[in-house]
Amino acid sequence: MEAIVEIEDVTKNYPLGKLVVQALRGVSLTINKGEFTTIAGPSGSGKTTLLNLIGCVDIPSDGAVRIAGHNTSALNDAALTNLRLRKLGFIFQSFNLIPVLDVFQNVEFPLLLQGELTKEERAQRVKEILRRVGLTDQIHQRPNELSGGQRQRVAIARALVTKPAIVLADEPTANLDSVTGNTIIELMKELNATAETTFIFSTHDPKVMRQATRIIRLVDGKIVHDGAGTEGVIEATDPALAGEEE
Amino acid sequence: MGNLLVSLRIVFLIAMRNLTSHRVKSLIVGSIMAFGTMLMVVGTSLLDSVEESMEKVVSSSLTGQLQIYSTQGRDELSLFGGLTASRPDIGEIEDFSKLKQLVEPIENVEAIVPMGVTIATGAGGNDIDSTLADLRRAVDANNSVEVKKLEGQIVQLASLLEDEYEYRAKIAADTEKLEQDLEVLQRVQESDFWEDFDLNANARLMYLDTKLAPLAADGKLFFLRLLGTDPQLFKKSFDRFEIDKGQMIPPGKRGVLLSRRAHERFLKHRVARQLDRVKREIEVEGRSLEDDELLQGRVRRLSRQYRRILFQLDVAETARLDKMLRDYLSEDTPEDDLAKLVEKFLLVDSNNFDERYNYFYENIAPMIELYRVNVGETVTIQAFTRRGYLKGMNVKIWGTFQFKGIEDSDLAGVVNLTDMVTFRELYGKMTDAQQAELEELREEVGADVVTRDEAEDALFGGDAELMEEGQPGELTEGFDEFAEVDVLERDERLARAGELTYEQEEIDSGLALNAAVILKDRDRIKETRSAIEAAIAREGLKLRVVNWQEAAGIVGQLITVIRLVLYAAIFIIFLVALVIINNSMVMATMERVSEIGTMRAIGAPRGFILVLFMLETLALGLIAGTLGGLSGALMIEAAGFYGIPAYNEIVRFIFAGPYLYPHVTWGNVLLAAVVIFVVSVIATLYPAIVATRIQPVVAMRGRE
Repeated sequence: MEAIVEIEDVTKNYPLGKLVVQALRGVSLTINKGEFTTIAGPSGSGKTTLLNLIGCVDIPSDGAVRIAGHNTSALNDAALTNLRLRKLGFIFQSFNLIPVLDVFQNVEFPLLLQGELTKEERAQRVKEILRRVGLTDQIHQRPNELSGGQRQRVAIARALVTKPAIVLADEPTANLDSVTGNTIIELMKELNATAETTFIFSTHDPKVMRQATRIIRLVDGKIVHDGAGTEGVIEATDPALAGEEE
Repeated sequence: MGNLLVSLRIVFLIAMRNLTSHRVKSLIVGSIMAFGTMLMVVGTSLLDSVEESMEKVVSSSLTGQLQIYSTQGRDELSLFGGLTASRPDIGEIEDFSKLKQLVEPIENVEAIVPMGVTIATGAGGNDIDSTLADLRRAVDANNSVEVKKLEGQIVQLASLLEDEYEYRAKIAADTEKLEQDLEVLQRVQESDFWEDFDLNANARLMYLDTKLAPLAADGKLFFLRLLGTDPQLFKKSFDRFEIDKGQMIPPGKRGVLLSRRAHERFLKHRVARQLDRVKREIEVEGRSLEDDELLQGRVRRLSRQYRRILFQLDVAETARLDKMLRDYLSEDTPEDDLAKLVEKFLLVDSNNFDERYNYFYENIAPMIELYRVNVGETVTIQAFTRRGYLKGMNVKIWGTFQFKGIEDSDLAGVVNLTDMVTFRELYGKMTDAQQAELEELREEVGADVVTRDEAEDALFGGDAELMEEGQPGELTEGFDEFAEVDVLERDERLARAGELTYEQEEIDSGLALNAAVILKDRDRIKETRSAIEAAIAREGLKLRVVNWQEAAGIVGQLITVIRLVLYAAIFIIFLVALVIINNSMVMATMERVSEIGTMRAIGAPRGFILVLFMLETLALGLIAGTLGGLSGALMIEAAGFYGIPAYNEIVRFIFAGPYLYPHVTWGNVLLAAVVIFVVSVIATLYPAIVATRIQPVVAMRGRE
């Protein structure tokens, strides 16, 4: 198996006023190509920080993060940007579509930034991915004309259109109802199987979590569980399941 | 950056969509930009058009495209007048012919015209003086009929003055002097004063000259700003020049051409001039006698000027006018005298103004002296020479002239023309003929050895020897060439003044104060200026070259002042635009932090964000600038089609006529485009840089 994400003894500190918050304290893990991994843990456990480091939008305070062989600490802003553009796809909790562009243009946007395909190739690629996420009829609608599920499909299409090595999703179902959330996860799983893209997502939702082939659980910036099964993890991971409110 | 070019389309799309989705912001910022552009196009086009038309007026009436004058003077050349009324010291061009030989062969030079300005005063005496002069002539000619007629006029004058002095005596504190004056006035009216007048003519005339004449306060001193030049060459070189009345100074003849404006304003009878002014204010400035208090005030003052008419009438004319006015005004109030009648006549209102204006010129004007100086007459003028002595001479007034297109402008009437030879004499340089005359004079007074250099000093400087022989009393008035000659000879000389001649060579060789250079191609003014400057430097002459604008003096600088004011206004407007654009872009950046973070996370480089923000403002600038520029250009073209009326005399001068027909040049539009571009870039730079600093990590934060 080929390692696509290698994290070695990473710590990440944030200044918070005069204090320093340790978001990650010596995290090490490897994610291989084609995995469908979820990062679980309560709020403040360091999920998002870990995703940010994998997503190359942030660099560790200590330790090393290697994405597709590149040590992110050694790259400048332009190189990190390029790495994101070539290797990564993002799905955000709040969809983060560009409001002034229609569905087609939103999906086409990363391809335009890459600037490698011709207009025809781009159109073909965009239409194909939109067909797969089931948005063929909404191709010329603006984001504000779509439902939440449709928006997240657009975001998934946008993340996948460049055929990235890794797709990162930060709580992709958090702003969706459970039925729609399930469909989205199903879609992601399907794309993971067919496109051989590595999916890494964070979630609170145990139903969503169960879909993952690997679950990494963080508590207070440390990995407390890393394995295939969900046994004993879900209850401990999500206090919501034990009837507690977050 | 290669990606940037490919993705320019999407950047443009996003930029445009952002503009349309923030309509209010775009509208406000766009309006300011459009207004600024419009103001710039309109302002600069108007100024350019004004400058162009002014260049035509100034350069084709007086200055030429370039002026050459000495570097040694203390003042700068200002042909249209400066801040002082006195003659500025602009130095001298000692030998004009040398300069002519140097400049004329230079490529693109059409002609070089010698010039020099001096201020002369004309002394015509007052109404009594001129009547007394007539009386003297009549006595000398033994014309008893004429003497009788003039006697009547003088008695009448005295009677009018007596009324005035009696009134003065009533309100004055010190009446002793007034009582003496009244005695004179009464004495002149007594019939025994005029008995056997012929026998005691000289003594009586002396009494009138010394006692009566000073009582009429209304002196007739007038100022002439005289431009000495080569009249024929001037006419040929300045195409706006045209003769109004009379004729051009004939080739080789000496004399003066009065500007029509000066003739009308300073030499016309006060009543006629005031009537003209009221007429102009009604017709040109659109004022009304019905409700305009200023104009009504002017008419009331005009009506009190009736004496100025009465003073000039002889007995027969007085009777005739009395009857005419009584009929005209249908007055049957026998107690009213003529003074009252004239006053009533001059108190015009909106209903009768045109009729009375015409009646005045048809019936009253022929009886009075409408102008102090008439075309064809020879007058005595005086000027201070450069050494400060008063030089008097007789000049023939050949005619009046004006400059086409600016006939009504005061500024265009600032100079009167004379020949170079006359100018040099007034300025204090002698002609060969005068040198000879001086020799003659010297023999007459018995001063035999005076060198040529000293002769000038002697003549103008009032050297002791000359003065001792002459009358010491003359010292206060300087030198008067007619001091020693009797009246008859004076008349003869007056008649001869127009007959004096000179050769072309005399004009060229000798002194000038400045010289106008006329170019064949006006657009190559800078190039030719450099060529002339080079030639002057080669010869080591202490002369400088200035363009028409500098040479015109304060008038030429006016345009620079207006330009500065306009630029200041534009600067302020764009400064405001800059602040507003900057503010709204900063706000837009804050609103779009998440969107920008997303773009950055997806893989948009910083340059992409920078271009996005720049493009938004530039697109707005382009649209607003085009609209503003276009509307400005349309306004100017419309103004150019209909013409902008000049509402007063200065504007009329600046417009080079009653209307300005402006036009747009591409340079103005381009300038506005460049300025709006620069303002947009500067205004957006800061918020755009702030936007590029937004970290992609912000996109990962949810919007809960």
